[in-house]
Amino acid sequence: MADVLIADDSEFMRNLLREILEEDHDIVGEVENGVEAVEVFKEQQPDLVMMDIVMPIRDGIEATDEIKSSNPDANVIMCTSVGQEEKMKEAVKAGADGYITKPFQKPSVMEAIQDVVPS
Amino acid sequence: MKVDVQALGTFNELAHEGAEQATRSLAQMTGIDGNVDVTRISLVDRADLGEELGDEQFVGVRFEFEGALSGETVLVFAEGATDEIVDALGHHADEAMARSSVEEIGNIMMSGFIDGWADHLDATIDHTPPDYIEREGSAILPEAPTEGGHQQLFVFRSEIEWVGEPIDFFIYMLPEYDPMTELMADHADPGADAIPIEKLEVFNRMTREGTETAAENVEMMTGIETAAEVTQISFVPIEDVPKQVGNDTVVGTVVEFTGLPSGYLLVLFDEASAMTVAEALMPMEPKGEGLTERHESAIEELGNIMTSGFVDGWANVLQQSVDHTPPRLVHDMGGAIIDPLAAQLGQEQRHAFIIDSRMQTDEIDFECEIHALPNGEQLREALDQLVVDRADQTEADVEQHF
Repeated sequence: MADVLIADDSEFMRNLLREILEEDHDIVGEVENGVEAVEVFKEQQPDLVMMDIVMPIRDGIEATDEIKSSNPDANVIMCTSVGQEEKMKEAVKAGADGYITKPFQKPSVMEAIQDVVPS
Repeated sequence: MKVDVQALGTFNELAHEGAEQATRSLAQMTGIDGNVDVTRISLVDRADLGEELGDEQFVGVRFEFEGALSGETVLVFAEGATDEIVDALGHHADEAMARSSVEEIGNIMMSGFIDGWADHLDATIDHTPPDYIEREGSAILPEAPTEGGHQQLFVFRSEIEWVGEPIDFFIYMLPEYDPMTELMADHADPGADAIPIEKLEVFNRMTREGTETAAENVEMMTGIETAAEVTQISFVPIEDVPKQVGNDTVVGTVVEFTGLPSGYLLVLFDEASAMTVAEALMPMEPKGEGLTERHESAIEELGNIMTSGFVDGWANVLQQSVDHTPPRLVHDMGGAIIDPLAAQLGQEQRHAFIIDSRMQTDEIDFECEIHALPNGEQLREALDQLVVDRADQTEADVEQHF
């Protein structure tokens, strides 16, 4: 069971991810933008961050970059509607450990988490 | 072969002035006043031609024309509209006479429409005698000319409204592809930044794929089987952009996208469809009447995912990234939503390309439109950089990177 932080500006998507994850994992926080994601990550040090890319104030790539700079062992899975090759390269460069494109089904989310944070 | 925006603007004005001349002819003969509401040039897939006419019954007066420009044109009236015309002429007692009246009115109107083109081109354009037809929906339009085997064609469409009457009619002009594009190329300013016409076609195909991806996303999220129906690129004066979207009340999302190209993208549902898709996304019945916050949140996320589905293909083919802002929920008349966005673009350009897609399903009452309004200069640059051989590489493979 991993401690998971969900960063997504969509309340709908946060709810959906929580419903998918809470049976097997602890949701330690839900935030709406990249600034809050970095702050809560530093406070809580969760095992995993599920990070949206398109968010207000600071996007998920920048937030991932900062989280990884502060803790290279952090685990971040990008969880985004963006399916662009260049954006995937940017995510790799920022240090992301996985990438799931929306819309997704529960098995693909669980599989991505298993790859990054093996139980 | 290339066309510049100024030449497209000139052709749009020609079609618009032709439609105005046709409307003046109608007013002179019948006393019925009309206004040319909007004229647009669209690059449209052959299979999608006339989809906007739905399944209504129409009366048409059709002609072939040839000369400096060749093709077919048709004046399309809603079925009841011809009765009004015939009444105005006082020929309603005799059916044959009524039909002949409509034919002749069509003949005079379309001569006005065609003559403006001939004068501008300083050449002759002849047309055949009128052919009176009664058909349903897009069947009222001629089979589009097939010379050259092009899957897409340019369509000039003017919409005319009668003052004080809830009846519209339309003028469609379908020029043959090759002579039309040659004419466009001839009118392009060699010093201007022109758009390769072939690439515009490729871009239109990419847009259809983007719409199909957006439709698949809707289906995956909601279980509602959805299909891409129409995609087209239209060229209109900036002040006519709001008329492309109409004045029905819609719910959806707006994003600004930046990169190559930049611009705005709207995902719009009619109110009933918005409720349907939002509730299909929700795990339980929402509390409260009408569009609740939960409905709005669901629509925002759906709009976000559909936007990505739509623009990601452009980014992948162009090997660029196209960023977009988080979606902003909108609930208003379509024209009122797009008007400020068009005004923003209008600070830099007089005409706009508008990329329209529609998806729907027969299963339930569901209709969704996507409208993209790219910055004209950015679109030209994007088309310039478009490598046609990469046009099918719209999807990225996550596993190559993770």
